[in-house]
Amino acid sequence: MGLAGIPTPAVTSWNPLKCSGTGLPANLTILVKVLAIALLLTNHVRILPDPWLSFIPPIDAIPPLFFKRTLQTVFLVSALAIIFNRRLRVASLILGATMLLAVVSSKAYYGNNKTFCGLMLFLAGLYKPGGYPFLRWQLALTYFGAGLNKLLDADWHSGLFFENWSVNRLHQPWYIALDSLLPAMYLARFMCWATIVTELGIVPFILIPSLYEWVIISNVLFQASLLLFDGTTFTVFFYSMTAASLAFVAWPTEPVAVMYDANRGFGNAAKRFFSSWDFDRRFLWVPTEGILHFSLGSKVYSGFRALRMLLLLNPVTYFTIAAAIAACESVPSAALIRRLIVAVALLLLMPPLAWVADKFFDHGHPQPAPRLKEFA
Amino acid sequence: MRTIIPILLLAFQFGAIVYARFVPTRYFCWAPYDTQTDYVASAVVNGHTLTPAEFQHRYRRGMRGFDNRSPQHVIDMLQQAEEKHAALGDKTTIVMKYRVNGKEPREWDWPASPPQQ
Repeated sequence: MGLAGIPTPAVTSWNPLKCSGTGLPANLTILVKVLAIALLLTNHVRILPDPWLSFIPPIDAIPPLFFKRTLQTVFLVSALAIIFNRRLRVASLILGATMLLAVVSSKAYYGNNKTFCGLMLFLAGLYKPGGYPFLRWQLALTYFGAGLNKLLDADWHSGLFFENWSVNRLHQPWYIALDSLLPAMYLARFMCWATIVTELGIVPFILIPSLYEWVIISNVLFQASLLLFDGTTFTVFFYSMTAASLAFVAWPTEPVAVMYDANRGFGNAAKRFFSSWDFDRRFLWVPTEGILHFSLGSKVYSGFRALRMLLLLNPVTYFTIAAAIAACESVPSAALIRRLIVAVALLLLMPPLAWVADKFFDHGHPQPAPRLKEFA
Repeated sequence: MRTIIPILLLAFQFGAIVYARFVPTRYFCWAPYDTQTDYVASAVVNGHTLTPAEFQHRYRRGMRGFDNRSPQHVIDMLQQAEEKHAALGDKTTIVMKYRVNGKEPREWDWPASPPQQ
């Protein structure tokens, strides 16, 4: 390893928690691994179909058991290959193709969530450096289609969809309680139009690089709000839509020099904690005086905001969140547990809490950290 | 290929979004959870009324349930399954009563009865 970059081993590690040297950039490596984790832990393999009323009629002629078992075998092998860093790009391509084939092979299996998940994996598998941002364009197209369909639907204009869904279908207690305090259909119309505006409004942001941060925040908050409201992940929609946010992030290619005070318990504790699960050696801990801080591009992060960014920069954070949500699929009170996990993740990882904590503890403003080469 | 294939995929989806404006189905046009259809269906095959388990096995859907995209998706599954079975000599009647977003009840019957819009 040199100080020039994250270690790229000669042989790709089998460690599932490592994301370097996989053949894909860090953000896409994390994206496909998050999806593979969710697909495996939700036991998605069990619902892969045999051909049935296929969108491509010749597929119906394939012997059903042969088709299904082949699909399941390829699905499992490619998902595990992703987890263990085996030919990640090709495995992602195959896993995505498997899901897309399953979608077109059976109207019973067909679903927007599986289609989008398959496309994310497939397009990640077609990644090439310097290529077009197809993953971002896919997210834009998805939001455009969803928003346009609602914009042209009278039941969304009137709020009838949301009223029926929330009251008659979900029996959503928060909605019903709030609805009873407001004029008839007021809340329903607001929720419908807020959805339409969000879905269509996010599209131009996706096409403007300087607004990517707002895309990430909007996308994550929108998908999280759906889960918090409904209590479900809409099969794999929540995982794949939130994971798509990773397509808008460029991970640092050099280790981040984190300045910490070795004479203080907090600094040492932070170093020990974050180092213990920094499998890619993304952080270089540099003893110095003053509060914990580091530079990333033109920004300086200190105090609690630094801690928040250290969480966000470590791929294991995303694996943990995805695994926690996916693992409670079949447990009692799964909806409540999912909501708690998402709520806690939002609280810890979205900007406001760290900003408030820093203001409360008044850490001051450190100077930008020296560049890494000064430590050569 | 790594450019052409994604372009073709995106173009197909864009075409599906446009196509969806002219048909009652919502396949591949990104219309998830845009319409709540709740339905109850029953089927009589060669004089035998299907049990819930038999209905599920034949149509891959329950006798009563929900669809989150379009009522036409449920109708497609029932109708296309029966078109295949009819070729094998089955005589089937299906009655499906459904509501879209909780509005007035509608009915679809097989043999063909055009769905109400």
